[in-house]
Amino acid sequence: MKVRGIIQKQVQCPACNTILICSGNPGEIVKVTCPSCGTLGKVTFEQTFDTPTKIVEIQSVTKTFGKFTAVDTLDLTIYTGEIYGLLGPNGSGKTTAIKLLCDLLRPNEGTIKILGEPLPCKSIMNQVGYMPQDAAIYLDNTVHENLFFFGGIYGMTKENLEKKEQEMLEFVNLQDWSDSLVSTLSGGMKHRLSLACALIHEPNLVFLDEPTVGVDPELRATFWGYFESLVKKGITVIITTHYMDEADHCSRVGLLRQGRLIADGRPRDLKKSVGVDSLEEAFLLLAGQEKS
Amino acid sequence: MRLRRIAAFSRRALLQFRHDRRTLAFVLIMPLLMILIFGYTFGGDVKDIAIEVVDYDIGIQAGTSPVLPNGLFLAQKVIDNFDTDVFSMHTNTNSRNARQIVHEGKAWAAIIFPANFTENFLSTIKTQDMSFSPKIEIYIDASNPTIAAAVIKEATQSVQIILKELSASLNISQIEMPIAIEQVYAYGGGNTRFIDYFAPGVISFAIMMVTTMITIILFVNERRNGTLQRLLVSPASESEIVVGYALAFAVIGIIQSIVVLIAAILLFDISIVGNIFLALIVILLLAFGHQGLGILLSAGAKNELQAIQFIPLILFPSILLAGLFWPIESIPSYLQPLSYIIPLRYGIDAERSIMLRGWGIGEIWVDIIVLVLFALLTLSVSVLLLKRRN
Ligand SMILES: Nc1ncnc2c1ncn2[C@@H]1O[C@H](COP(=O)(O)OP(=O)(O)OP(=O)(O)O)[C@@H](O)[C@H]1O
Ligand SMILES: [Mg+2]
Repeated sequence: MKVRGIIQKQVQCPACNTILICSGNPGEIVKVTCPSCGTLGKVTFEQTFDTPTKIVEIQSVTKTFGKFTAVDTLDLTIYTGEIYGLLGPNGSGKTTAIKLLCDLLRPNEGTIKILGEPLPCKSIMNQVGYMPQDAAIYLDNTVHENLFFFGGIYGMTKENLEKKEQEMLEFVNLQDWSDSLVSTLSGGMKHRLSLACALIHEPNLVFLDEPTVGVDPELRATFWGYFESLVKKGITVIITTHYMDEADHCSRVGLLRQGRLIADGRPRDLKKSVGVDSLEEAFLLLAGQEKS
Repeated sequence: MRLRRIAAFSRRALLQFRHDRRTLAFVLIMPLLMILIFGYTFGGDVKDIAIEVVDYDIGIQAGTSPVLPNGLFLAQKVIDNFDTDVFSMHTNTNSRNARQIVHEGKAWAAIIFPANFTENFLSTIKTQDMSFSPKIEIYIDASNPTIAAAVIKEATQSVQIILKELSASLNISQIEMPIAIEQVYAYGGGNTRFIDYFAPGVISFAIMMVTTMITIILFVNERRNGTLQRLLVSPASESEIVVGYALAFAVIGIIQSIVVLIAAILLFDISIVGNIFLALIVILLLAFGHQGLGILLSAGAKNELQAIQFIPLILFPSILLAGLFWPIESIPSYLQPLSYIIPLRYGIDAERSIMLRGWGIGEIWVDIIVLVLFALLTLSVSVLLLKRRN
């Protein structure tokens, strides 16, 4: 059962100016239909610090591949409106964790809840956006065709798609490449398109597996600006990265090492806890403590 | 199932083909080439078959027989009547040598007339005793059934013409065939040309190959590029993915069949007696079943290189056992049961029955049911396969 929202909000229908009152929880985006003209819209309930909503709940999840344990008794809760950074060296289990959250892999032990629903659950998937680590796009189609396809499988209408496509092309700076075959794009451009394909359907919860790899510094800054704007709209972003300067943008970071979460907290707090100025140093120290 | 999502899948796949001209060409040109090559090789009558002719016939000299005052060299007459377009003849005086030449593959057949050929012929007429029948030995390389049949046909025809001439001039009512040669015709007697027999098979075969191979490669790429993962994280269900692709293959299959049919009609004047829509339905069933098969096989291949290793696995049973080139009845009896498990067999059988015999659903329902079951089985198992998670 969905609990009725605890916040009441007055909104005005953009089409017929009718005032309506809707309720929701902090950080939630509620779909509303105007009672007088039928226009569909979304109402965002801003995140407030003291009433966080759990959007991802991972409870003692273990994932093994044969004898190898890729994710080891992971416990993690992520709240609506967070931008959570998963960090860790190569092979530490970041991608595996994201795949578990997307129901691409099934845990050997433990449970996962996404948007309040225990996995597997197909009905919540239209609220989820996923960008895999490798640019998972169709090389023999054009940029435009890829965007339309990924929007299309989320059931977006043509008009809606056309509008969103423009916005996405501008965001990833591929306006001039719309009709190019993806196979002719550079590596970074493919990566940018892949990100656009994950976001075109306006998901509420986004999993981005190394979205900024191979992207030039200028565009990386743009990306982070965009992610932060998503978070302002109440969208939750879960991101993996190797760049420590990026990790500083996250509201919270978790450090994975050999499948175990060895640190979890706000970047500021983590640095303070070990008494250093940079996250990089903090992690090196934390990893060292873990070993000994 | 949502139509918009299914349409998104079909649309994307078809657009991919539009960009990938090479693959599109493969899809359309492969069956066309097959039709052209086989049509021109086997389509008309076979020509210039290398033949060794050995004539030991001593004949009957003029004046030695009251029945034939002018004498008769029957073997020579038969040989003279051979069509030089069909036979490229070489006269040999030694039958052992002639057989050897056939044995070495330098000629397709040795036609040997014994010394008493004319004499026995005369005795047969006089005594009406068939045990005297003169014999022509045809030592034949039957490794190519089409050529073997052409040799027998030409030899038989020539003998018949000569016998007719003789019976007229000798005033004999009827002369029985002096040699017994079994004529081997698959269907429809001498009127069905090989191309008529072959075209429905090529269409079925091309659909099978193209659908299976392209599905394997598309899905190997879906897995390898990670796009499949994206689809699985989307609200699209596994069955929507499969149905979406199926529609794309249906479009491709229909275009492909129409191109081949038009080419076959224009170039080789093949006639289709049956219902063309029924023929297309069979094509679609074949495409759906093999799409399912392709998805299943794709799970067994990690990359495109491994995917193409499936080609011989699919190709050879289909070519050899499904009745594409020769009737299933002509393959060794211990292999015949194998053909029942090859879905293409039912497709070819149905297409031939529709196009050549004009049969309808009432006669080919068994084929249709097998193809429907095959499609349902492979497609539903492939949905289950896509649903599987580690
Ligand atoms: N399908 C699989 N089968 C077997 N082992 C796997 C599989 N997927 C991942 N692993 C192993 O699990 C470990 C964690 O892999 P994962 O991809 O999650 O690492 P990662 O943290 O994302 O690394 P990177 O920073 O390089 O992306 C690795 O040692 C990897 O070899
Ligand atoms: Mg990874």
